[in-house]
Amino acid sequence: MVSVNADAEAAGLEVGQALADAQAILPDVALAPEDPAGDALALERLALWALRFTPLVGVIGRNGLMLDITGVEHLFKGEAALREEVLARLARMGLTAITAVAGMAGTALALVHAGWEGEVPSGQERSTVAPLSLAALNLEPAMISALQGLGLRSVGIVDAQPRPALARRFGTGLVHALDEALGLTARPIIPIRLPPEMAVMRDFVDPVVTREGIEAALADLLAALCRALREAGRGARRILLRAYRVDGNVQELTIGTGLATRDPQHLARLFKGKLEGLEPDCGFDRLTLEASMTNPLTGMQENLGTAGRAERREELAQLLDRLSQRLPVWRLAVRASHWPERAMARMNAFETAELSHCWVPRPRPVRLLRRPPFLQVMAQVPDGPPFRIRLGRIWHRVRRAEDAERIEPEWWRDGPNRLARDYYPVELDSGARLWVCRSGPMGPEARWVLHGHLP
Amino acid sequence: MSAPQTQAPLDRPALISALRARIARLERAGAAEALSARGEEAIPLSPVIDAALPWGGLPRAALHEVLAAEPGAAAGFAALVLARAGGTVLWIAPEPDAWPPGLARFGLSPAQLVLVRAPHTQDALWAMEETLRCPAVGAALLVTGELDLTAARRLQLAAEAGGVLGLLLRPDEDNAAPTAALTRWRIGAAPSATNSPHELGDPAWTLDLLRCRSGRPKSWQAAWHGDQLVTDERSTRDAPARRRA
Repeated sequence: MVSVNADAEAAGLEVGQALADAQAILPDVALAPEDPAGDALALERLALWALRFTPLVGVIGRNGLMLDITGVEHLFKGEAALREEVLARLARMGLTAITAVAGMAGTALALVHAGWEGEVPSGQERSTVAPLSLAALNLEPAMISALQGLGLRSVGIVDAQPRPALARRFGTGLVHALDEALGLTARPIIPIRLPPEMAVMRDFVDPVVTREGIEAALADLLAALCRALREAGRGARRILLRAYRVDGNVQELTIGTGLATRDPQHLARLFKGKLEGLEPDCGFDRLTLEASMTNPLTGMQENLGTAGRAERREELAQLLDRLSQRLPVWRLAVRASHWPERAMARMNAFETAELSHCWVPRPRPVRLLRRPPFLQVMAQVPDGPPFRIRLGRIWHRVRRAEDAERIEPEWWRDGPNRLARDYYPVELDSGARLWVCRSGPMGPEARWVLHGHLP
Repeated sequence: MSAPQTQAPLDRPALISALRARIARLERAGAAEALSARGEEAIPLSPVIDAALPWGGLPRAALHEVLAAEPGAAAGFAALVLARAGGTVLWIAPEPDAWPPGLARFGLSPAQLVLVRAPHTQDALWAMEETLRCPAVGAALLVTGELDLTAARRLQLAAEAGGVLGLLLRPDEDNAAPTAALTRWRIGAAPSATNSPHELGDPAWTLDLLRCRSGRPKSWQAAWHGDQLVTDERSTRDAPARRRA
């Protein structure tokens, strides 16, 4: 047994009991198999849901959530009211929780571990934690029993001992846990989502269900976010829409842009295709829009010379944004390699390609086939150019063929088994110009492929 | 009793020319606006070909169809048109295999080329339409198969709205259905002018203008020499070998 609910506990069941004992005590006990992965997932969903209270939420262990409510409690009319609202909303979802509010994350955690509920006034952390049992420190069971064996039964008594002696006897872990619980050292919160650089939100009295409603709300939020971005002199690179469903489910949609932007219409268009992914079901009662990544974007002065160009650049970036929401879009950058497949590298479409070196003025194909087909080829001499080539079912006579261009494998990139290739530009009787390649040993075992089409 | 003839007898030639003028105004009405905003001329190919085209070159803000009788030659011709259109150029294909080391010969630099992979026709058409509507783009190329009239018409209207030159690169089929494109070309390979069996020489193409709105079909042999298209004067024919438009 890994967990029991309140009713079962009242009947005498406890964690760690054998299943047979439990069934003997309470024959009609409802059993659910343990599912750590499912529990972790549910906890993460709950953490996302908790983002409605504060932007900084962390998951603690297997069953805890830590909310940093610094600066948000006044939105809920105080810490006590906030705690009550959290509990009420959890209860509506059928969940019970132990909650505590304290000035330091470690203190709050210690209080919850010890089962203490409420708000600690600032400055009284030490006195509140002192009478608690050692469970507050969340230590190994062996260490707790060792401490109890020495007569150290509460946090306060352990605190009264000299620290060096404690560290020597029980390790620095205990001292660290103690300091965190007493609020002497800060305990970092690892957020499940990085706090956004900028966020706007909207609550709805009547949950929005329809596509039109969501679009209208999104337009509203985008306008507000873009206003905030303009005031900050920044543009968004990534925007996250988080929709809180009435039943506690949270859904997220993300869009990215190539250049920083704060044009609400452009952003709305990027979201348009993605909104289909939302499942409103019984409706959303809150939408938040976060700019999770922003770049500086200063207002541009419309000068005579640069106005048109900047506008063009922005328009092009918006087009590439729209295309890349749905399809892969890239540019090609020149790479210093003679191996044809490596001569060009894919790069981000929003960067500008540098022309670092010129190409040798040799005939090069305009289309390089990604899956080059094998060819049947006749050559007059084993190391000579092709004489006849079979394309499909027909043998074509080669009218012209240039001398081979040998391309050696790059030993610093390739394995030792890669063979050198001989490339022949050939012109068939039909006028077609092909870039054919022979790899492998010359003679009957030579393998011929069609690697590209010459213009 | 029959009603008296109240209408004046029709002046048929005048009526037809008036209707023609009206159609001409309706067609490419948006293009005129987009082009006047951009203020750019038609794209020159070669003096001989330009003289045969009613616009003095390949007009922007329009859709042009290229049937590839030979993949390499057609890609070369397309690269030439894209490069001369200038600006950023998009290459939309199910599997874009454009290779800048070869395209650079026609003046198309990798700095202006953006590749879009669209495996499904629907996505490809959407991407092409979005691109053609964007005035910041110089030209766009779509590698596609059969295209229905409605889709082509949509693309043509999008090109008119954005002032962008659109190229449709299609495989050469004997009975390619008519589309809304302004011109249709068939590009094939021609034997090059060199006599040596050990040298390929300049790329040589047969350019068949199969269909041309308010123009006549024609056929040329041309070679790419240095950085220009040199038309072989003797080979100019009035009608392409096979008419199919």
